[in-house]
Amino acid sequence: MTPGRPRLRRTNPTPTATETGIQMNIAIAPHHQAETSFIRRYIFSTDHKVIGKQYMLLSLTMAIIGGFTAYLIRWQLAWPETDIPGWGAIGPDNYNAIITMHGTVMVFFVAMPFLLGAFGNYLIPLMIGARDMAFPRLNMMSFWTIFVAAAVLTVSMFVPGGPAAAGWTAYTPLSDNPIYTGVTWGQNLWLLALALEFASFLMGGINFLTTTLNMRAPGMTLWRLPLFVWLEVTAAVVFLLSVGPLVAGALMLLADRTLGTGFFRPDRGGDPLLWEHLFWFFGHPEVYVVALPGFGIMLEVLPVFARKPIFGYRTMVWSTVAAGALSFVVWAHHMFVSGMDPRLATPFSVTTILISVPFAILVFCMIATVWGGSISFTTPMLFALGGLASFIVGGVTGIFLGSATTDIFLHGTYFVVAHFHYTLFPVTFFGGFAGLYYWYPKMFGRMMNETLGKIHFWLTFVFFNAVFIPLFAVGLRGNPRRIYEMSSYNFLAPVQHLHVIATIATIGLLVGQFAVVVNFAWSMARGKKAAANPWHAATLEWATDSPPPHENFEHVPVVYRDAYEYSVPGEANDWIAQTEPAIGHLSHVAAD
Amino acid sequence: MTTADNHDREYIMIWVWLVALLVTGTLIFMLPISKTAAIALIFGIAAVKAILVLRDYMHLKSERMLVYAIAAVPLVLAIGFALVLIPDIIFRR
Amino acid sequence: MDRELDAAGSGIFEPGETIGMPIGKVGVWWFLASEIMVFGGLIGTFILFRIAHGGWADEAAHVNWRLGATNTFVLLTSSCTMIMALSAARTGRRERTAHFLLATVLLGLTFLGIKGIEYTREISEGFTPASGMFWSFYFLLTGLHGIHVIAGIIINATLYVAAIRGTLWSGHHEERLEFAGLYWHFVDVVWIFLFPLLYLS
Repeated sequence: MTPGRPRLRRTNPTPTATETGIQMNIAIAPHHQAETSFIRRYIFSTDHKVIGKQYMLLSLTMAIIGGFTAYLIRWQLAWPETDIPGWGAIGPDNYNAIITMHGTVMVFFVAMPFLLGAFGNYLIPLMIGARDMAFPRLNMMSFWTIFVAAAVLTVSMFVPGGPAAAGWTAYTPLSDNPIYTGVTWGQNLWLLALALEFASFLMGGINFLTTTLNMRAPGMTLWRLPLFVWLEVTAAVVFLLSVGPLVAGALMLLADRTLGTGFFRPDRGGDPLLWEHLFWFFGHPEVYVVALPGFGIMLEVLPVFARKPIFGYRTMVWSTVAAGALSFVVWAHHMFVSGMDPRLATPFSVTTILISVPFAILVFCMIATVWGGSISFTTPMLFALGGLASFIVGGVTGIFLGSATTDIFLHGTYFVVAHFHYTLFPVTFFGGFAGLYYWYPKMFGRMMNETLGKIHFWLTFVFFNAVFIPLFAVGLRGNPRRIYEMSSYNFLAPVQHLHVIATIATIGLLVGQFAVVVNFAWSMARGKKAAANPWHAATLEWATDSPPPHENFEHVPVVYRDAYEYSVPGEANDWIAQTEPAIGHLSHVAAD
Repeated sequence: MTTADNHDREYIMIWVWLVALLVTGTLIFMLPISKTAAIALIFGIAAVKAILVLRDYMHLKSERMLVYAIAAVPLVLAIGFALVLIPDIIFRR
Repeated sequence: MDRELDAAGSGIFEPGETIGMPIGKVGVWWFLASEIMVFGGLIGTFILFRIAHGGWADEAAHVNWRLGATNTFVLLTSSCTMIMALSAARTGRRERTAHFLLATVLLGLTFLGIKGIEYTREISEGFTPASGMFWSFYFLLTGLHGIHVIAGIIINATLYVAAIRGTLWSGHHEERLEFAGLYWHFVDVVWIFLFPLLYLS
């Protein structure tokens, strides 16, 4: 019997289980895996690690659709008179359907499941020292709900009338009245798919919050949590609070389309702008729901590969919370030229400019974290740094759009497209890939090939910038978005070559992704077996085997330290695990 | 057992109040007051009923700050959302 | 197995210990928070539209406030029976718990019945969701609320069956009663606001 580890005093009083009548959560006790069938273990599993991988598989599969639609869009824009190889000709209706699918799939079925569903589910229990989420069965339900949602959306691509074609924003009355798009079933199924997706992330979000509040290992105070957890939980809260009005709006839109109501139809007494308000009240916080976890991943990778602690941990926590809160009061910056009351323009411009402050703080703290560090440019670090650099471009260009005066010219142009790709792509793909390369050894027990990883990074980074910098240029020239070809606009003819450059770069970007596909598959079988902590990182997920056993930890860890103790002066090692007893702490003396 | 009985009596008293408020509310429009005042009164009564249910049936009065916050923040947000839309939905054009 | 490790002092905790209350309750409140945003969005929109379009007094005159008031009474009473069920469970009075749960279910069904009568009457008089903005909102608001009532009835009926079968009493399952109660009271609170909004204005 090992000497008793000290039971650290928690900051909250701890009534006994019988006093509060708490049901024993069976996920806490390791249950016997040997008896469960293949179906229970890999298909309908309640293990958060399996669920995380399921989300990852779903998101990467949907990314194929997202990427393919990008190829279609870009080819059409570069060479509108030609047929697209592997597809055929595109006219205005198919084009609208394709851009709608591209946006919907990428935001809801790639970014969110990848950053929140995959990494959030996999890592949160491990990072806090728990054996699983607070509600494992709810977790399983959340995955299968988004699976059905993805299936519904995929099916909607093949129904008569085609898939939804009103943009991922589904503005009314375009999405409301079928005579405009010719789409009937497709738009309704789109609404259903989204509703299911929302339900899935509501379930998941409740799990993130309750687990982080309640299942932390002894000694894991809130200020010792890895920033990744803070950002994921903030994202979950923001999602939970923002999605309601859009659920209401989606019901109203569905009613308009099926029951003859007229919420958004002017010919029936409704207000089309109401949809925009309801959509963007959710839509804007939603992009931060995607951005914050991407940042969270970068914030885990940067200190490890700079061998330096996080700069401004608490500042970043407060900035994250501030950004989350502010995200609720900026939505109408998407509507400056929509015809809404102009009196709303100034307040929303002010709040939008204001929200750049917490994000700037996050960015500066990230830079300060690596400044003067002993940097090793491994693949995860390259993706994290590349993502950070690209995001800065996205953030700065957001300021032009956030100010109503400049937005009047830029709204609806490719400037907007380039801006949001410079924010969403870095956090989703650079951040996501940084996470993939960083945590792959933990998840699959193998190291990925570093050379292939670097090739993947450089191809992605160079081609990504080559796609979207030209789009800033054409946008500034006034190139409208969501049109399938520009021949009606003579003033755009001189810049058509920029569209060609962007398209060639897109093909390069997509081809470059084969590097990670090959790497992923090959390393799974033939990669070098990974140690428990190949990166010498301090957080708790590295304090267990790669991959972790079913119950995550043999003994629930006790936490003594902050999450980023790297290069601590006077220490022999350049890192100290969170589970390492503090200096002077007598391990055999109970703290109480 | 006596503590439990006390709670039961409390719960029934709250129900009595709720029904009384319901009856009062439905009779408001018989009063000789302006429409605006009547509307204000009716919603005031509804608010009181809601507070009674939240406080006594949902036990918000004995829950920790965390639960209060979880209940209060969305309420503030939803009301705030409606307020911000007033210039646009009501007074546009 | 965890018990042995616990004795060895490895620090395994029990759920609910970190924040000192059943974590399921926090989960339910978060769910209710998201529901507040859904109904809040819909109700807020309704209020704004109603004011913007002149009050809809003519259309609103066709809803039957007596039936509405009766339904409000039914739902308030069902809230009371729900809390009485919880109180009975907490003091170990099992049969009483089952009786009050049954009462709640029956009252919920009564609510739906009265709503059904209202809908039938309104539709036969020619008022459908397509009859204008007031009716669009009326049917969507009460319809969404009704779906929530149905879900609540199913939950309460499941608990009732568990109560008479005895499975409610094993392994702290009676805390599920509290969570179901929170949901049911929330459904009641939404109706407390819908009633004056739709019937009394």
